[in-house]
Amino acid sequence: MPTDNKRVRGPELSQSPALFACKAAPVAPQQGPRADGRQRDQVDVRPVFVRCGLVSQAKGSAYIEAGDTKLMCCVYGPKETERKDETDMKCGRLTTDMRFAPFSCPERGSWVQGSQDKDFSLMLHESLQPALCLHKYPRSQIDVNVVVLENSGSVLAHAVTCASLALADAGIEMYDLVLGCSIRQDGGSYVADPSYAEETYCSSDGASDQGRLTVAFLPSLNQISGLQSDGEMSAETLTAGVRTCIEGCYKLYPVLQQALIKAVRKAGPPPSES
Amino acid sequence: MATVQVSEAEKVYILHGIRDDLRADGRGCEDYRHMEIETDVVSNTDGSARVTLGHTAVLVGIKAEIGKPRPLVPNEGYLEFFVDCSANATPEFEGRGGEELGIELSNMLYKVFNKHCLDLRSLCISEGEHCWLLYVDVLLLQCDGNLYDAISVAVKAALFNTKIPRVHISADEDGGKEIELSDDPYDCMRVDVENVPCIVTLCKIGHRHVVDATLQEKACSVASVLVSVTHSGSVTCTRKVGGGSLDPESIFEMIEAGKRVGKSLHAPLMKLLQQEESLGKRRQKVGFLG
Repeated sequence: MPTDNKRVRGPELSQSPALFACKAAPVAPQQGPRADGRQRDQVDVRPVFVRCGLVSQAKGSAYIEAGDTKLMCCVYGPKETERKDETDMKCGRLTTDMRFAPFSCPERGSWVQGSQDKDFSLMLHESLQPALCLHKYPRSQIDVNVVVLENSGSVLAHAVTCASLALADAGIEMYDLVLGCSIRQDGGSYVADPSYAEETYCSSDGASDQGRLTVAFLPSLNQISGLQSDGEMSAETLTAGVRTCIEGCYKLYPVLQQALIKAVRKAGPPPSES
Repeated sequence: MATVQVSEAEKVYILHGIRDDLRADGRGCEDYRHMEIETDVVSNTDGSARVTLGHTAVLVGIKAEIGKPRPLVPNEGYLEFFVDCSANATPEFEGRGGEELGIELSNMLYKVFNKHCLDLRSLCISEGEHCWLLYVDVLLLQCDGNLYDAISVAVKAALFNTKIPRVHISADEDGGKEIELSDDPYDCMRVDVENVPCIVTLCKIGHRHVVDATLQEKACSVASVLVSVTHSGSVTCTRKVGGGSLDPESIFEMIEAGKRVGKSLHAPLMKLLQQEESLGKRRQKVGFLG
């Protein structure tokens, strides 16, 4: 792990004051509406705000906001590949890099990329790659960088959506957009597009069917490009959860299409008919 | 990942075979290769296991050390995973070549072997001050596909084999606490592995999926799904790996198949581990790559 000696890193050991708070465990209600007024057991995703082409230096960029989850993505390339030894003559290379800003989570993160960020980068890579026509970019490399500005749950799902939007904005040839959606299963009920509190909340021990699930979906091809779950669930719950996520992805689809159309219109007005 | 060159003709051969439920080595689509498990292979560890699956060989050593519990969960111990992809297994892992795969594998292990499957509270010595920390080090000796399954079985076997010495806390008159390690080498604590899951990797090849793919079969597959299953059949972790995408229906089928295969894997594994345990010192040791 490379350490950064130029930056003042503060004391070796420091802890968030939240740890010293008296633990009145915030019990998330099992029934009734959620903290932000959304419904349980429904595909009630947060409304998203998306914009393309905000970063002038990048080939393509996108910004997404869903509730308090805010992240941006920049796409650079296609350019000559950096790692010559692994150059594939027939196929382009996709590199993904996902980082959390140190202040994005309730606990401060570090500047150097941790193993969790690497894991997210890898999952982003696996979710995006099936959608790209990489064979059209031989011997070149496409870089996707995602920065999480504020983490309020479902980060991976929104990162996938945002990255595919930025790739489309960059004019990279794709088979389809990739949409992400996640759910949190809590016993018999589930919450779609969970917030940070809902995502990390630990229910009482011994309860079955506790888990998180994230799906990346290609809507017009009806293909799943990314699947990731943890926690303990029965196979039936998991299957139902995947279906719920697909439904959630379809809800996002028109919003992204609108954002892309808007970006294209802005980039170049349609040529006059004369 | 170690790669092999597979020609188009070979791919067609493998694909057609799998379509007819007959694989190149004579197995059906949901059959594992021959698996060998041996526990207690390294004397310097607190628990160790060696698993060979076809030509894939994995060695897991567990060392228990005393550390400070994490501030968020002061009453639990924890596990640290490290997967070493040494150049022994394949020359591609030389230098930093195996690092990426190692991180990928260890991240998966963190997700699979968490508090849902292990009683981490039993690893706590005194709340907020001392806990047991299990360092699980995985060494890949040979790679011939299906690393995840082999590693998960090996980790489960090594955890079963782990003997943590008992400690007693004595408080002196100033209120200070002192940790005392038991002198008796047989006075030790075991880890309950009842609920520890195994990973089943399903590779989508053609229109079907296979369990325990060899490297040749892996080269024909577009994507695979990892499913980690406990003995009761509940799924603790799933993950799609590989560059392709999958139809939702086939994912559902793969989860179902993974559950079925994983569930049937646990009973013989536990039986074998208990049998080996009961043999004690009389057991004939095989050793690595044997």
